[in-house]
Amino acid sequence: MIDTSDSGLDRPMSAVHSCSTRVLCLGNDLLGDDSLGSRVASRVQQFAPTDVEVFSTSESGFSLLDYLLGTHRLIVIDTVVTGNALPGTIYKICESELKLHAGGSPHYIGLFETIALSRYLRLPVAEEVLILAVEATQCFTVGDEMNPAVSAAIPALVEIVRNRIGARTTHRTRGFVA
Amino acid sequence: MTEREQNLRQVLQEGAARTNTESVRRRITIDPVTRLEGHGKIDIFLDETGQVERAYFQVPELRGFEKFVQGRPAEDMPQITSRICGVCPTAHHMAATKALDHLYRVDPPPTAKIIRELVYNTFMAEDHALHFYFLGGPDFVVGPDAPPAERNVLGVIGKVGIETGRKVIAMRRRWRELIALTAGKSVHPVFGLPGGVAKRVTPEMQKQFQEVAADGVEFAKFTLQLFEDVVLKNTDYVRMILSDTYTHRTYYMGMVDDSNRVNFYDGSIRVMTPQGKEWKKFPSEQYLENVAEHVEPWSYVKFCYLKPVGWNGFSEGIDSGIYSVAPMARLNVSDGMATPLAQQAYEKFFSTLGSKPVHHTLANHWARLVELLYATERMTELAADPQLTDTTIRVLPTEKPREGIGVVEAPRGTLVHHYVTDENGIIQKANLIVATQNNAARMAMSVEKAAKGLISGADVPEGVLNRVEMAFRAYDPCHGCATHSLPGSMPLLIRVRDQSGKTLATLRRDFDGSVRRD
Repeated sequence: MIDTSDSGLDRPMSAVHSCSTRVLCLGNDLLGDDSLGSRVASRVQQFAPTDVEVFSTSESGFSLLDYLLGTHRLIVIDTVVTGNALPGTIYKICESELKLHAGGSPHYIGLFETIALSRYLRLPVAEEVLILAVEATQCFTVGDEMNPAVSAAIPALVEIVRNRIGARTTHRTRGFVA
Repeated sequence: MTEREQNLRQVLQEGAARTNTESVRRRITIDPVTRLEGHGKIDIFLDETGQVERAYFQVPELRGFEKFVQGRPAEDMPQITSRICGVCPTAHHMAATKALDHLYRVDPPPTAKIIRELVYNTFMAEDHALHFYFLGGPDFVVGPDAPPAERNVLGVIGKVGIETGRKVIAMRRRWRELIALTAGKSVHPVFGLPGGVAKRVTPEMQKQFQEVAADGVEFAKFTLQLFEDVVLKNTDYVRMILSDTYTHRTYYMGMVDDSNRVNFYDGSIRVMTPQGKEWKKFPSEQYLENVAEHVEPWSYVKFCYLKPVGWNGFSEGIDSGIYSVAPMARLNVSDGMATPLAQQAYEKFFSTLGSKPVHHTLANHWARLVELLYATERMTELAADPQLTDTTIRVLPTEKPREGIGVVEAPRGTLVHHYVTDENGIIQKANLIVATQNNAARMAMSVEKAAKGLISGADVPEGVLNRVEMAFRAYDPCHGCATHSLPGSMPLLIRVRDQSGKTLATLRRDFDGSVRRD
């Protein structure tokens, strides 16, 4: 059964404030494989130290701007359908590898353009951006279960995030590791 | 077998037969192969002489919605539907809330209606502004024939200046903060309840609304001036807007107030003929008596058409039930705007384009800005209303629920939510007609017409990719709600095939905007 209650993780923009690291999990928890982001978010939140913010949102495109600002480091979790790899394959993409995508999306600008735009406008965008994307299969059916091959990537993904956070973050007394 | 099922079977059989015939013809496919599949796929079939015969514009549709909501309380619908769409959650929230009013036969108090309309116009202003600067801008501000590397959002900022870019971002932030202040969340609002709203507006909030609304009007005026300077003074752009490639003579639909002026939140549905005469005006609850859905075997999308006029294939004119929604359609169906500056902009729109209705699809970009000005002016009016801060914000429902229909004008056009419940308010059946669905038939025609005007044989020039996309980008279509666009390596592909299926040429665009041929 899919929980449609408010997770509290998709807080409004006014709650987004300065932090050292932000883990931004994208995807819609009502749409099959697209729920990967929210599942990773709930796990990471269990061990994230207090100077690490964890967000889960189904917003996309330019609406992501608010989540890119006011943090030193940004780790983005998302799904992607390339059809070029097995479901569950994890891609690690650094910002330096990103190329600006010109007009390919007729509806909205994507994460990459939003990052590029933020830098161009001299907004306080994250200095370091890492994207962890998982090859998915089914993201268009409301209430669908995740493909087991895709959900199997979650533990590995969480470990990557844990290592990234652990390697670079000073734990505060209020923080804890699960 | 029901009549609908029989019709569907017949359509599928005809489609399969047609597909088999057409598969031996030449075929061009514009196929986004990544997550961008959420944005559509275009198949173009050439005839024996290499000319475009038919073009199919395909979009994936969100599935499983009806099943998912069955058995859930109707009160959950404003939250569930707003969570499904990552692009215009406020529109779904508002349509769902209005459907609940109707379901419980409850009329919200005046203050609740003012608050709802105020929040809704704030959302419309934000959405319209973003579309012009960041989504439609690459086509018009930078230009359709600019090098691909410049035809993006940075190109727009390069043209209008960094300060203007920062101004857009700042204005957007203030609008979103107001929505969050009133509706709880700017992402997925939680304030609409059957019979009213969850939170009142305090005098302090009212002051904030008034300040932002006043600045919003100035911002909208600035944006319209920019459009005039950059687009209207460029004769090439104007010629393109007026060109036959981007013109269709169809019916138009939109919501109007008692004086037949544009209203986003409430009113009657008005439909105008291709000649600009009123075809019908009806309460939104009668929507389903006037609109039917046509199924094509090559698309998941159900194509809406005017039921009494009938489906006459993908054709224009008074005998074809195909109609259009969205900003240009709203201006076409109205007798004017309810606010003074927007009225001036409305008059200029029609006097410049020379006729009413305007049939030029690309004029949607301009109409959107007329509506931006209206939304900001309407915010100013509502924010100044002394009733805004009253504490009576809800009437408790007492009637037993059965069936409810709620309609609003979303940024992309008329949006309908329709629920049937049992007497305990548990959803038995739910149906949404989203704006893009209303536009789907005309959009398919636009893509086909653009392809016919621009493609001839296997030689597909680079500019064609963008020009064909422009045909539907003007509608600001919303496909595959809540999808993201983390790209892979090959976002767009055109393939030209001969009659045996052999590939004659391949044109692909990579994510850095470069186009290459294989």
